[in-house]
Amino acid sequence: MMEWLTEIHQGQGHLIKPLIVGTLVSLVCSIVGCFIILRRLSFLSDAIAHAMLAGVVGGYLLMKLAFGVEAHVGAMLLGALLAGVITVALVSFVTGASRIKQDTAIGIMYTGIFAIGAFAISMKALGKHIHIDIYHFIVGSVITVGNPELWIAGIVAAIVIPLVIMFYRELQLTSFDPVMAASIGMPVLAVDYMLTGMTSLVVVSGVRIAGVILVVALIITPAASAYLLFDKLSRMIVASAAIGVGCFWGGFWLARVAGASPGPAIVITGTGFFMLTLVFAPHYGLLADWRRRLHAVPQEIKEDVLGSVLRSDEEWVPLTQVMRNVSSPRPLVRSAIGSLIRQDLLDQENGKVKLTMQGRREARRLLRAHRIWETYLDHMGTPARELHGQAHKLEHLNDERTIDYLDDKLGHPLTDPHGSEIPEDFVDFEELEEVRASLLRKGNRAEVIRIEEAARGSGLHAGMTVSTEPRSSDGQTWTLVTDDGRQVQLAHHQADAVFVKLIQVDQKP
Amino acid sequence: MAGSVPAIQVDNLTVSYGPVPALLDISLSIPAGQLVGVIGPNGSGKSTLIKAILGFVKPDVGTVQLFGEDVSRAKGRVAYVPQRGSVDWDFPVTVREVALMGRYGNKRWWQDMSRNDYALADRALEQVRMSEFSKRQIGQLSGGQQQRVFMARALAQDADILLLDEPFAGVDAATERSILDVLTRARQSGKTMVVVHHDLETAAEYFDALILLKQRLYAYGTPEQVLNAELLSEVYEGKLRVFAALAGEPIDQVLEDARSSVLSKNKNGDVS
Repeated sequence: MMEWLTEIHQGQGHLIKPLIVGTLVSLVCSIVGCFIILRRLSFLSDAIAHAMLAGVVGGYLLMKLAFGVEAHVGAMLLGALLAGVITVALVSFVTGASRIKQDTAIGIMYTGIFAIGAFAISMKALGKHIHIDIYHFIVGSVITVGNPELWIAGIVAAIVIPLVIMFYRELQLTSFDPVMAASIGMPVLAVDYMLTGMTSLVVVSGVRIAGVILVVALIITPAASAYLLFDKLSRMIVASAAIGVGCFWGGFWLARVAGASPGPAIVITGTGFFMLTLVFAPHYGLLADWRRRLHAVPQEIKEDVLGSVLRSDEEWVPLTQVMRNVSSPRPLVRSAIGSLIRQDLLDQENGKVKLTMQGRREARRLLRAHRIWETYLDHMGTPARELHGQAHKLEHLNDERTIDYLDDKLGHPLTDPHGSEIPEDFVDFEELEEVRASLLRKGNRAEVIRIEEAARGSGLHAGMTVSTEPRSSDGQTWTLVTDDGRQVQLAHHQADAVFVKLIQVDQKP
Repeated sequence: MAGSVPAIQVDNLTVSYGPVPALLDISLSIPAGQLVGVIGPNGSGKSTLIKAILGFVKPDVGTVQLFGEDVSRAKGRVAYVPQRGSVDWDFPVTVREVALMGRYGNKRWWQDMSRNDYALADRALEQVRMSEFSKRQIGQLSGGQQQRVFMARALAQDADILLLDEPFAGVDAATERSILDVLTRARQSGKTMVVVHHDLETAAEYFDALILLKQRLYAYGTPEQVLNAELLSEVYEGKLRVFAALAGEPIDQVLEDARSSVLSKNKNGDVS
């Protein structure tokens, strides 16, 4: 590769133009390609490329017959541009005016226009005037580019790159959510036209590199690779541009080495890079997907690990102890621990693990589920020795709705059948949240927000601050103390009818 | 405050895609500060009504006015939370970038987003408790979290009118609560909201007024007025069970009522 660069440097001046043109063209193609793949317009850009044959022939014949100029590149490219724009216009006309869907309309229009070009070339009356190698336009030939192509590549780059930078927000939002874009007054239709205009421009400039059949690869393949690599549009565009230019240089070099035509070589490089990305992309690649599946640990085992760490007396729990307490195959327990560390629920140090703040919360939430299930099973008359085992299975049914429902049905018990405390609700029960007074426990302070029918006349009214006393009569009576020292006693259904905003919650560590 | 000028005024609105009208001759007026639900069976034009108020679909006939101004000239006064199914969740965009889109309407194309815009986007994410996910790509969130991101975008927009297309469809209890919470707070600050809703059971509880739609406007009024058996049976036909449960009546009785009401209905049955 190095020798080859020096070769260009010394005396191989004829390679300078192809390399500059190729670099510029692959840059603009791969930038515009990002919007094309996000809007699912790949087929449309392919159609534009094919339809250009008719424009090339038209431009050629016009200059030849009217002015006697042979193979005027400018006219041919202008013709190509025009053919592209006409194709897009016809496609949107057909889809708008009839029930024909876009893919069908594209298929009809581009083959029709391509056929006009092919028809003209094959006609004896016109064909005898055509001496250019139409082949250049069908498969492309970057080696033979001259000043007109250099100008065109420069002008297209000078139009497209500033437009994408200036109208980045417009292009992004109209691609992502056109309804919102319209509602804030973005000219959605004008942006659509701008994008199809840019597509026609980059296709025209790309046709000389890869030809009408392959040019679409310069546009969509680098963008598709970048799409698998990045989660932000701005990064995807930069990456796509880099990949596009890189694949052009790689392909150009490949063609030199193999003594082949550069167009196909560039496309092969791009496709090869895409295949590599498809397999190795860190998040969206096949390998990453396979690894994720391999590391997938049953949620139950993770919950059991959290529970065993929470129940332990020490803060830092040796891994060996966790392994002993969780009755699942060791490798699974080990990957469960790894997965919990990655989720930031556990910390690990010197063969010991500790719950993070978030992990403690999660573990207490699971403990609450377990103990509420035990209380419920006890309530249903399940024999005492089966309680733990049954609840252990059921605790994995721990979505908020189920647990809150059971909690309410059981009258918000404070302890389970073994006398252990049931941790409180973790979703609502935070300071400044609005909850029913039935959730209040000893020591909580709250402000009364509103009172429903069942609790009217209890002596509470909106705006007062209350603190909570221990529950009495077997947990069936709630006692609140108002700021002026009055005690108010409420039954379960009354406590449910009082809505309070939590002021002070002593969450146990 | 705009005084007596309604926030949303729709007159004789007809919209069609192809030969069948999606909406036919809708006229209604929503005062500022109301939380209004739109109900009706699938394909009854609920989303189309939202898109017409947004100015995204062109009416065949009729006008939509926002605070007395034609919708085409009232850009940016409406924020919109799309239906979950209509978003491309693979789009390379992060949570924070979506919230920031709420600020796009305040900028001319040559102006950059300012520090203040980022701050407002972040604050909106905080309000829906999504701050910790701001760097995530939107496809890597749970359904409820995705809904909240778009709520944050609408909040960052700080528009006078909020339109929400089925925000409660398929979300978890925590998200439902947090959406309701945001809606309640938005109403307290004087915003007008129109919400497409599918669940008749909660409709009465959530909204100040209801719009019952099936191509035509069947009813617009308080939940008590709109959620009556006769009307619903006419609009929902096959879905009688739903409101049988709602009314707490035995299904046979409801079917019987519905049959007699359909038989005796006068063709010109607009109720409002």
